[in-house]
Amino acid sequence: MFYQPNVIEEALGLKAELKDGGTFIAGGTDVVVLMNHGKAAPENFIDLTHIPELRAIHRHDGALELAGNVTYAQAGKLPVRCLALASLSVGGPGIRELGTLAGNLASASPAGDGSTALLALDAEVELTSVRGARRLPLDKFFLAYRKTALAVDEMITKITVPTTYRSDWSKNGKRGAMNISIVAAAVAITPKKETRIALASVAATPIRCYKAEKFLTENGLNAGTIRQAAEIVRTEIRPITDHRASADYKVHLSGVMVRRLLENLVKA
Amino acid sequence: MSQPIDNLEEAVARLHVASKSSSAYESGPRKVVGKSAERLDAVEKATGETKYGQDLFDKKFLFAKVLRAAHPHAEILRIDTREAKKLPGVVAVITHSDVTGTNMHGLIRRDQEVLCSRKVRYLGDALAVVVAKTEEIAIEALGRIKVDYKPLPNILTMEDALKPDAPKIHTEGNVLGEKHLRRGDAPAAMREADVVVEDIIQTQTVDHAFLDLEAGRARYDGKMLTIEVAGQWLHEERRLIALAIGLPLEQLRLIQPATGGAFGGREDISIQIYLSLAALKLKGKTICLRYSRSESMVARHKRHPMRVHYKLGAKKDGTLVAAQVTFYVDKGAYASTGIAAMRKASSHATGPYKVPNVWADVIGVFTNNNPCGAMRGFGAVQTAIAYEGLMDRLAVKLGMDKAELRMKNLIHSGDAVTTGQIVPNATGVECFEAVLKKIDWKNRSYETAAPHLKRGYGVSVICFGLGYGDGFPDASRARCKLTADGMVEVYSSGIDVGQGLINMIAQIVAEEVGVPLERVRPILADTQLTPESGSTSATRQTYFTGSAVQLAASELKKQLQDIAAAHLEELVYEIKIDNGEAYNVFRPERRLTLRELAREGKRRGFSLEAMGVYKPPTVPEDTATGQSMRAFVTYLFGSHACQVLVDTETGEVKVERYIACHDVGKAINPDQVIGQIQGGVTQGIGMVLMEEVVMKDGKIMNPGFTDYILPTIRDVPEIECIVLENPDPGGPFGARGVGEPPLIACGPAVMSAIQDAIGKPIRILPATPERVWRTISEK
Amino acid sequence: MKKARKKTVAANGGSLWPLRFTLNGKKVSAKVQPTQTLLDFLRIEMGLTGTKGACLEGECGSCYVLVDGRPMNSCLMLAPQAQDRTVTTIEGFAHNKKLDVIQQKFVECGAVQCGYCTPGLIVAAKALLTENPHPTREEFLVGMEGNICRCTGYNKILRACELAADEMGLKKK
Repeated sequence: MFYQPNVIEEALGLKAELKDGGTFIAGGTDVVVLMNHGKAAPENFIDLTHIPELRAIHRHDGALELAGNVTYAQAGKLPVRCLALASLSVGGPGIRELGTLAGNLASASPAGDGSTALLALDAEVELTSVRGARRLPLDKFFLAYRKTALAVDEMITKITVPTTYRSDWSKNGKRGAMNISIVAAAVAITPKKETRIALASVAATPIRCYKAEKFLTENGLNAGTIRQAAEIVRTEIRPITDHRASADYKVHLSGVMVRRLLENLVKA
Repeated sequence: MSQPIDNLEEAVARLHVASKSSSAYESGPRKVVGKSAERLDAVEKATGETKYGQDLFDKKFLFAKVLRAAHPHAEILRIDTREAKKLPGVVAVITHSDVTGTNMHGLIRRDQEVLCSRKVRYLGDALAVVVAKTEEIAIEALGRIKVDYKPLPNILTMEDALKPDAPKIHTEGNVLGEKHLRRGDAPAAMREADVVVEDIIQTQTVDHAFLDLEAGRARYDGKMLTIEVAGQWLHEERRLIALAIGLPLEQLRLIQPATGGAFGGREDISIQIYLSLAALKLKGKTICLRYSRSESMVARHKRHPMRVHYKLGAKKDGTLVAAQVTFYVDKGAYASTGIAAMRKASSHATGPYKVPNVWADVIGVFTNNNPCGAMRGFGAVQTAIAYEGLMDRLAVKLGMDKAELRMKNLIHSGDAVTTGQIVPNATGVECFEAVLKKIDWKNRSYETAAPHLKRGYGVSVICFGLGYGDGFPDASRARCKLTADGMVEVYSSGIDVGQGLINMIAQIVAEEVGVPLERVRPILADTQLTPESGSTSATRQTYFTGSAVQLAASELKKQLQDIAAAHLEELVYEIKIDNGEAYNVFRPERRLTLRELAREGKRRGFSLEAMGVYKPPTVPEDTATGQSMRAFVTYLFGSHACQVLVDTETGEVKVERYIACHDVGKAINPDQVIGQIQGGVTQGIGMVLMEEVVMKDGKIMNPGFTDYILPTIRDVPEIECIVLENPDPGGPFGARGVGEPPLIACGPAVMSAIQDAIGKPIRILPATPERVWRTISEK
Repeated sequence: MKKARKKTVAANGGSLWPLRFTLNGKKVSAKVQPTQTLLDFLRIEMGLTGTKGACLEGECGSCYVLVDGRPMNSCLMLAPQAQDRTVTTIEGFAHNKKLDVIQQKFVECGAVQCGYCTPGLIVAAKALLTENPHPTREEFLVGMEGNICRCTGYNKILRACELAADEMGLKKK
């Protein structure tokens, strides 16, 4: 069955009612690819693209509240550097119009660009179901490879992103555009001068590098500590060798990218 | 040098070449040839009206799907189609036992079963064709076909294939064949060389990745089996299909739909035979078939990965004295056109350089990987990367400027290439000088914004033998006709795959007959209508079909002049045809339009139709030495220069500047020539920096565009083109061709620039960021 | 609370989705298989074969159409998602045989070779130039980076887009 609700409540109602939980579809950049390749054939779709409130962006004190279906194209225009750059690094213009931040989070791809940028920004998600809403810091959201804290009846309704962080983004691939990252990195500095580092494609999920962050928060940011932190990053990640690149190259890249990003942030 | 002439047809063709143009009394600037006329099919392509294979489908037709092998190497014990046939909506399930022909195909050696009966040799091998009311049902039915296999050991590397006790992929063994070239005494000369460099270069498996997937339709009405599928050589495809399915040739008609790129990827037969089998079985039904992207990648042949052992010796002053080269060529599962690609490697082993002593050996090895066959550059791409790579290493060892080293050794007109063939019009030096000047070689700057960024400059010079060569019959035919409505129709089986053949033909005809371009109507690639024009490959269509077209047009013009002379009561040699009108040059006020000429011609019983045949001979290379006085009809020269920026910490390479110079003889349509150069360079950049079919256990790990990555608009700089026009006596209006050389010259230029930037050569392609970084990091 | 409008049809077989949308300027109603992609719907049901499929995973841009003026990969949209939207395919660009400026420049500049990527590229360029009539070189690249062309090497495509922008800019003055 195909459902096309116009309000969130109805979508959640359907999600709770349907025996198989239904499949939320927004940009289709994951599920329709699988369908096209004959690798998925969902029974029930709940189309989220006709719910206007899921596209809303609200500004609060020091934070942006992004509704779940904010697209990469929308996010690419936000005044949050690492999120905007990460969003613009996704696919081409068509994919950026279709794909959504919530979709990126929910699919929990280890290479998720939006997810990684949001992780570095201490984003919070609002997960809503007919049972009610709960808020979760994003670093508690990714559980394992392609597994998240989303319950079967829940939807990502909001993503809260601070605008007070200074941040930056870098993505490495084999060509100039439309890359799935070999490694992607997001870094941010909080108003309290704490550092955040998040990486894509180096573990089963997008990850934070807590040890390196803690080291920098404790020792301050300078050329020396940045180099040391980059070394710590290399020990914190567990990438795999795949057809995109080998594990040791990903480790090497992670160190280089984090170092460069932090050096630029300090300079700026 | 005089050439033997085998038969009368050739003699006539050559006579025509000598005076190909009928316009002996006319001079003055060309009106159509040499002009960048808009593509004749551009508007319909830009509006979406053009119909490619997949655009010929209709829901009311039947749909076919192909069952592929489940193992890369296995014996087939049993194929059980009963469950599939029971599925509602399934109309037919076809296996080898239904095939009444030879059930074999293959362009040079027919070694591949259409539908496998005893053995599968790679994962793209086909076992059955299902025809159903919808594509979905056909796909479901595939899953219901049971095949019992006895798996055999997978042979995935050339090393494994060449082991003495290796299981045999084909009954005759795991070696497809060998090619040898012996010119002088290379080992002795090498011993005497002052400097010797040696290296092993490994190229990768590359996919054509044309956007327009294999798709088409077929229908058999009891008399004629009509197949609408994009190929690259309809008449040969027709012959192979006829043999395979057991239908007389006369009952097969192949029609080329609009074609979305080919690059050699449509040279081997793909869906044509499956469609034919289905149509033959289901008389009166139209059958559609299309590949998905992954099926296309799994089934189709690839560019040969080659491992090239190259040893190059020179005197202290840089003069080359000897080259010893061994090419190991991964053939994959079937022969395809491999033996010809291997011969292209040996015959181009030292490229445009004068090397008195060359020994080259090429060995083609079967594996259970994808078969490899034609792809733009055909054996010459890998070879150029090898010889230019070695020139760079030699320059480093000699402490000599790499441009100077090349310049010193380039052949000049009258010198011989590897095959011993004398090249009367060698323009490599001219091309090379042009790019060096443009990039300001002497003043190149290595300054960068940061220490981890290194700049490098690369150059390459190539030569390329046009056409099949090697004594293989290589001919093109074309027909020109004046219609009652005053249009000049030109019929050719040359195929426009995007390169611009349609304009090439039409512009030559317009120029030759003396009519405006819009009065020419090209009719292309339909075996029922158009004469055999050879394959659309080997950079041969402009040279061969262009010549055939010019001959036909010239003959037609003579007829028109005769008619005009008779009707106007003037002398025939004073009749000019210009802008679609015939008149006496001294009395231009009395004119005949094309329509009037057609009417008069008919009244006087003229055919108003002419055939052109162009068949310049070549001489087979000696099997032992690879030597031939005329291995190819002519040679093309080109040179590239580029500037790259390497991030030495990440290994990323950015092509900052690119210059390409090609001698095309005559640019029939300069804009299209530039399009071919820029497109070829882009494919070269793709090959060298990113493209690679990753195989694991015989399986393609990246069978889609998410991971088989192609250059985007961001990966290509402005490609500055220099087009030289040193006319070739054998080509139409002096034209040579341009299809393959831009891709061939690009790879070595970019590799050369990377080596310049990082101070070390990359030995394995592609030069991905990881590989560049690893090379930099190696001690 | 807003009143919910609920539409329910079978996803596989059974009842079809009653699709209503604007296609190339005309209101269209059709019953569609809800699992059919917009690409297949346009090509198979509407006979608009100008929109091409080549990778079916959002990596080549051949299938671009404009949805409410924005470029989208029609291979990744299910047909019902076009409900109430305005969809423009390449067939909706030329009016009374008069080409759109972008089409005209593609033809003039030799930006069309095999032509398979051409419709998608023209759609991408249209979206870009509608939103931003005077793009910088970088903005052009952002707008065109999602389309793969295997033939031309992009140089002439970029040139065609830049000339189209010039001409559209001149027209507006």
